[in-house]
Amino acid sequence: MKLDRRTFIELIVGFSAGAGGGFMATPVNWKLMDDMTIWSQELWPRYQLGGLKGSLPQQGKVTHADSVCNLCPGGCGITVRKVGDRATKIEGREGYPVNDGGICPLGAAGLQLLYGPWRIPSPLKRIGKRGSGNFEKISWDEAINEVVQKLGNLRQKGQSHTVACILGSDEGTVPRLFDRFLTAYGSPNFIRTASAEDTYELALGLMQGTTGSVGYDLERANFILSFGSGLIEGWGSPVRVIQAHSTWRSGDLKDRATVVQIEPRLSNTAAKADNWHPINPGTEAALALGLAHVIIKESLYNADFIGKHTFGFEDWSDSSGKTYMGFKRLVRTEYTPEAVAKITGLPAKKILTLARAFAKAKRPLAVWGRGKGTVSGSLYECMTVHALNALTGNINKPGGVSARPQVATRSWPEVERDATALSGSRRPRIDGAGSNRYPLTRYLPDRWSQVMNGGKAGAIQALLVHGADPYFTTLDSAAVAKAFDAIPFVVSFSTCLDETAYHADLILPNHHYLERWEDLPTPVGLQKPILGMLRPVVSPQFDTRHAGDVLMTIAKSMGGSVASAFPWDDYETLLKETMGDKWGSLEAAGYIVNEGYKPSAWSKAFGTPSGKFEFYITAFDQAGVKIGKDVGYLPHYEPVQPEGNPATYPLILIPTELMRLADGAVGNPPFCTKTLEETELKKNDLFVEVNPKTAADYGLSEGHHAMLETAKGKAKVLVHLFEGIMPGVIGIPKGLGHAAYDDYLAGKGVNANSLIGVVEDPVTGLSAAWGVRAKLTRV
Amino acid sequence: MKEAHHKADEKTYKFGMVIDLDKCTGCGACMVACMAENNLPFRKDNSDRLRSNLWMRVYKISNGRSFPDLDISFIPRPCQHCEGHGHHAATPCVSVCPATATDYSHETGIVSQVYTRCFGCRYCMAACPYHVRVFNWWDPTWPKGMSKYLNPDVSVRMRGVVEKCSFCYHRYQRAKNKAYAEERRELHEDEYQTACTQACPAGAITFGDLKNPEHKVYKLKKSPYAFRLLEKLGTNPKIYYVSTRDWVRKAGDVYLGKEGKDVTHA
Amino acid sequence: MDSASAPFDSALFPEGVKRCKFKWFLFWVAVLHGPIMVGVIGTLMCWGLALNVTYLNNNYPFGLWIAADLGIIALGGGAFFTGFLRYVVNIEELKNIVNYAVVIGVICYAAAQGILGIDIGQPLRGWFIFWHANVHSMLTEVAFCITCYFMVLCIEYLPLILENRQINKLGFFHGLAHHLHGAMPTIAAVGVFLSFFHQGSLGGVPGVLYGRPFAFREGFLVWPWTFFLAILSAIACGPCFTILVTWFTEKCAGKQLVKKNVIDILAKISGRLLVLYLILKILDTIVWVGLAKGVGAPFSSFYANQPYGYWVLITEIGILGIIPAMLLLSERVRRNEAGLIIACLLNCAGIFMNRWIIVVQTCAQPVMSFDKFVSYHPNWVEYATTLVFVWVGAVVIMLSYRYLPIFPQEKELNPL
Ligand SMILES: Nc1nc2c(c(=O)[nH]1)N[C@H]1C(S)=C(S)[C@@H](COP(=O)(O)OP(=O)(O)OC[C@H]3O[C@@H](n4cnc5c(=O)[nH]c(N)nc54)[C@H](O)[C@@H]3O)O[C@H]1N2
Ligand SMILES: Nc1nc2c(c(=O)[nH]1)N[C@H]1C(S)=C(S)[C@@H](COP(=O)(O)OP(=O)(O)OC[C@H]3O[C@@H](n4cnc5c(=O)[nH]c(N)nc54)[C@H](O)[C@@H]3O)O[C@H]1N2
Ligand code: SF4
Ligand code: SF4
Ligand code: SF4
Ligand code: SF4
Ligand code: SF4
Ligand SMILES: [Mo]
Repeated sequence: MKLDRRTFIELIVGFSAGAGGGFMATPVNWKLMDDMTIWSQELWPRYQLGGLKGSLPQQGKVTHADSVCNLCPGGCGITVRKVGDRATKIEGREGYPVNDGGICPLGAAGLQLLYGPWRIPSPLKRIGKRGSGNFEKISWDEAINEVVQKLGNLRQKGQSHTVACILGSDEGTVPRLFDRFLTAYGSPNFIRTASAEDTYELALGLMQGTTGSVGYDLERANFILSFGSGLIEGWGSPVRVIQAHSTWRSGDLKDRATVVQIEPRLSNTAAKADNWHPINPGTEAALALGLAHVIIKESLYNADFIGKHTFGFEDWSDSSGKTYMGFKRLVRTEYTPEAVAKITGLPAKKILTLARAFAKAKRPLAVWGRGKGTVSGSLYECMTVHALNALTGNINKPGGVSARPQVATRSWPEVERDATALSGSRRPRIDGAGSNRYPLTRYLPDRWSQVMNGGKAGAIQALLVHGADPYFTTLDSAAVAKAFDAIPFVVSFSTCLDETAYHADLILPNHHYLERWEDLPTPVGLQKPILGMLRPVVSPQFDTRHAGDVLMTIAKSMGGSVASAFPWDDYETLLKETMGDKWGSLEAAGYIVNEGYKPSAWSKAFGTPSGKFEFYITAFDQAGVKIGKDVGYLPHYEPVQPEGNPATYPLILIPTELMRLADGAVGNPPFCTKTLEETELKKNDLFVEVNPKTAADYGLSEGHHAMLETAKGKAKVLVHLFEGIMPGVIGIPKGLGHAAYDDYLAGKGVNANSLIGVVEDPVTGLSAAWGVRAKLTRV
Repeated sequence: MKEAHHKADEKTYKFGMVIDLDKCTGCGACMVACMAENNLPFRKDNSDRLRSNLWMRVYKISNGRSFPDLDISFIPRPCQHCEGHGHHAATPCVSVCPATATDYSHETGIVSQVYTRCFGCRYCMAACPYHVRVFNWWDPTWPKGMSKYLNPDVSVRMRGVVEKCSFCYHRYQRAKNKAYAEERRELHEDEYQTACTQACPAGAITFGDLKNPEHKVYKLKKSPYAFRLLEKLGTNPKIYYVSTRDWVRKAGDVYLGKEGKDVTHA
Repeated sequence: MDSASAPFDSALFPEGVKRCKFKWFLFWVAVLHGPIMVGVIGTLMCWGLALNVTYLNNNYPFGLWIAADLGIIALGGGAFFTGFLRYVVNIEELKNIVNYAVVIGVICYAAAQGILGIDIGQPLRGWFIFWHANVHSMLTEVAFCITCYFMVLCIEYLPLILENRQINKLGFFHGLAHHLHGAMPTIAAVGVFLSFFHQGSLGGVPGVLYGRPFAFREGFLVWPWTFFLAILSAIACGPCFTILVTWFTEKCAGKQLVKKNVIDILAKISGRLLVLYLILKILDTIVWVGLAKGVGAPFSSFYANQPYGYWVLITEIGILGIIPAMLLLSERVRRNEAGLIIACLLNCAGIFMNRWIIVVQTCAQPVMSFDKFVSYHPNWVEYATTLVFVWVGAVVIMLSYRYLPIFPQEKELNPL
């Protein structure tokens, strides 16, 4: 056939028709469709799970392991569901004395931290510039050697006191090991990161003569008056508080507990309260005294307690006949509802009603500690709130306040100190705590960096950090960064790449909390003694070591009396020995609790010089605290001025805390970040909360970008209009602004601590800052 | 884990929840527990709620008033497992799915979702008035090592399909298998509980068989303060809410809340 | 015809007509391939990178694609309705345009299915709609009827291909074409039946959503009454779309292809149907207001969020409904080219707007009182992948016009 144009076209047409029809008539196309479906379900390369093909995660034997969560001060019991050797879910442990089956979002997301890419795989040594994030893997021997060398040299040069440790806690065997290490090595510089406990300990010590921090019997209280405590957001042990909240909300409507929240912003806690009273930020103490005024004036206080067990309520005279003003006169004259209304912005009528309701309640409880309790706060403010509890006599009673008790464990042998250790530990602390200026205070976590930057750059030659992320959590980030830069040798024991680890010279990664043994003393805020035990739920996922073991190895390698201070073979031996006869039940049950614990009766409760609850603090003089004016011996209102010039910075910036955003030493896991509201984070920008009236003054609308500026720094933020925040006040969430970790957290938002500076409490030296002056401009 | 075989005399349930909004604190533990239990994916940037994948979402709602009269409530919202009634004897989403990829179980009252069947037309999403259903806009991926925590009882979903709260159906399957092994027909109340119920620190979520007088939900749903979301539409949901605040109940019940003067919130 | 100056491919042209030079033809086809490639890139992005490349989201599971789908199917309704009028009602004149209506129909229906292939999240499983069919779902009804009707359209299109001058010379194909012609009234009737159902079901897609008071309508027989509104609106506007495309084709070809009286019949029928549709639509709106109020959704709430203000309602029913209906009823306007085209444009725009409203505004409308309204607009991927069918359609029309005897009156109107 001649292939002309026509036949060619005919052929093409015929062939196409034939092929198309033929193909459709065969089963090939159906088979292909089926194969493609299976491929799309099973073999799609993107979701190959750890080498397993398909959408089915690996099966295995299902087991459950109990342990304790230490991602926050909560100390909840957890049950980890395992499949084979994989941990697949963390649940609250049923019956655990802190949280009875409940869990918080952070705790529930714990496995993301265990298996996450932010884990530190092995000891790392910095190679690039500090903060460049460049590290190289080294062996444990090399890493430990390096520490031994550096610390050995310093000790030899008589500079042992320039070594400091920063930890998140000073309770439990591991923090105590660090403390012991410094004692044997020769440094006074054990620093605990800031919390409301710092101030509460002092207030209780002064007013009650007790040691340790506070415990609240929240479950049995029936009127809860919270002075800005983020009870729901994560105050103390959040799961426990939320459970207590549900107790308050149970039963008949008329029997339910009343909750009143004093706070300039409608937080979750305020939203859950029966009454929310926004007052001018920083005036909480004035309000407490105003309430005291009404309670005293109307004789609503517990006369029995006040009469028999308190000192300094009425005016009194010393042996020389000199008369001193008592709490009653101060409050009666200075803090009338009208005067307090002017300071706080809360109408006098509301002060009257609130005071009466509080005092007449069966078991009223006044709670102090701003937000999650991650800032120390003002001593006098804490004392005024505690004075309310004293007025109602609700101390060491069911539904009241008491000192937080501990389960007793075996003590360790005294450290035999050599000359270097002795002279080193007698040197003044670099943060000034315990000095003549601040004789009462044990740690000044916000102050050491200020001291270093104020001309003592060489004060710390080596810093060991464990269980804390001071680079991120300390106020005035720029000052902290500067101080860090001046420390030649920073060692982090962190298990994750947090900010401090990121800026360290050496990282000696600890086991993750689900991979190790560790004891956990009574969690913050609890009124009964509890000892929890972390236990390895999974084997270590990386080349990590227990910080206790590492520290002991370092000590032992240093030889001499430093080594001999650590007579234990390893951490586990030490732990068992310390727990003594309790080890058996701890190992079996995972915790010990004394449910029947009762705090001492009033007659034996107070270790003050007067043996009574003191409204008038006699211990000040004993300790050598310089109190200028008479009123300084009494709980009174002394405004803490936020930093910044009102002319330049007309607004007030307060940090806000969110339940779904971890703002402490633990970085927020992706699941929690995913739960943030779209008015809290948008892409990499955080929102600040602004009252619509304030926003209108500055020409800002919802979602606008704005420049937020304070004396400490500035940051670009997004504006969220919120009717729940007081006009003139801006709220900024804490917990964002990480540079470390990785893209799931790093680079999102700004660190609120970088905008807020330290305002020293005149008595304690702790930071009393509750906010900072700020300005907001549209960009 | 596969379902035990059906018997003619099958025990049937009507599982549902009563969520106490007076207790709910908006903490979000239920959301995270659900994500951890059900292998939900996450991304480096999850801030776009419109594309975020949450089976349990806790809404923050307000009474719309100005400072200082503003009031806020939290509404945890899993799938409502609608039953439909009257004219609409079918679940809104189930009735529209062209591929039968979602189904109403008369054994449990649970509205299922079969991921390998769903082809991603999203009609069910348009049908659901509660914004329960979410689409996988991306391939799910886990950073290196993270897939270790995945729960083998729940399959991982591919991109391009719709998913939603299943009432942790796999937990029902486990409980039922166990009961069968022990030659029991009926599950105890505490044998089958959802992950969010279990996690909630406030004990705000109660889960159980709505038609079993022995179960806590049976009594709780009869509270004078109980209501359901969008009751008037006739979706007949199995999630009940309890709130002693009037404005909250109205916000849940009344479509758009702008109906008339009886509505207090704006 | 002078074979020396005849285009290279003139042997394939229909008998007795003139076509442009092959290079010009090729040039325009090439030009259209520009936007086609953009659409292809968009499609590949959707398939390769998943649907996050669009602006769709969980609040807007349906967007431009589905709205366009419903709109295109309605416009393609010109095919079945013209077929119905020609073969069932037996309006003889319409034989002069029914071929072209079929071509337009094939393009529209292919486009609708193509868009769905991009829109669904797992296109490789698209056939589950048939395999695991849920008979209660409107979408199942739609899928089955559209697919069957598309086959019918192909069978209607086939004789046109077979009548190509060269193909027709082959005895088998000639015979086949002849027999198909004979069967055409039956095929058209089947098509009409199928088409009624899927046009209606498409209207039922939002109508059954009883969780969405904005879209929901009470039932009539087994369907919500939007089922019938959708049929009526499709047949009221489909012919106008056929007129528009024919007019545009004539402009491009530079000659008249269909006689005015044929066009006028379509326009007149369209106008009358549009009036009927509008009456029912207005009744629907009134009943709907009460229906929605009954479930607590006040009428005003539907128009409280911009851009979906009251203007939407006014534009849809007034400007794009009543005005074209009035224009089409007037013989004077119909006789005037500009008037006719404006009327047809308004009518077609009205149908698109209606489909956008029932699909996208339905999704936009918050249902829970604490839902936030968010707005949606399509992104370039959605536009490009939707419009690609316009460009491909243009190529198909160019090919069909060049090689197939679509316009029986062309020879008579344009003697060589
Ligand atoms: N994580 C998880 N695990 C599961 C399940 C789940 O849902 N999740 N489901 C469970 C269920 S229901 C099932 S049925 C099982 C299935 O589990 P398996 O029975 O393990 O199924 P496959 O992995 O599909 O296939 C097993 C092997 O058979 C090989 N094979 C294929 N064809 C042939 C053949 O003709 N001859 C031989 N000799 N080999 C062949 C395949 O290459 C493959 O290596 O998985 C169970 N395991
Ligand atoms: N491509 C591919 N296909 C397969 C197989 C394969 O290996 N590859 N294996 C085949 C085999 S052996 C099996 S057994 C099947 C298993 O196939 P399926 O059982 O369809 O798949 P799964 O994903 O294992 O389980 C269904 C999912 O539905 C969820 N679900 C949620 N709610 C409900 C509900 O109310 N009811 C029900 N029924 N489920 C609910 C369950 O939690 C579970 O995650 O798959 C078969 N198909
Ligand atoms: S409250 Fe704290 S301790 Fe308890 S689960 Fe949450 S993070 Fe862990
Ligand atoms: S876990 Fe409980 S309290 Fe927390 S948000 Fe969910 S339902 Fe509310
Ligand atoms: S809430 Fe939505 S997804 Fe759940 S059953 Fe009802 S309609 Fe379906
Ligand atoms: S998206 Fe999936 S489940 Fe939803 S209607 Fe379509 S096929 Fe059914
Ligand atoms: S019932 Fe299960 S699937 Fe549903 S929201 Fe709760 S945890 Fe998630
Ligand atoms: Mo199977």
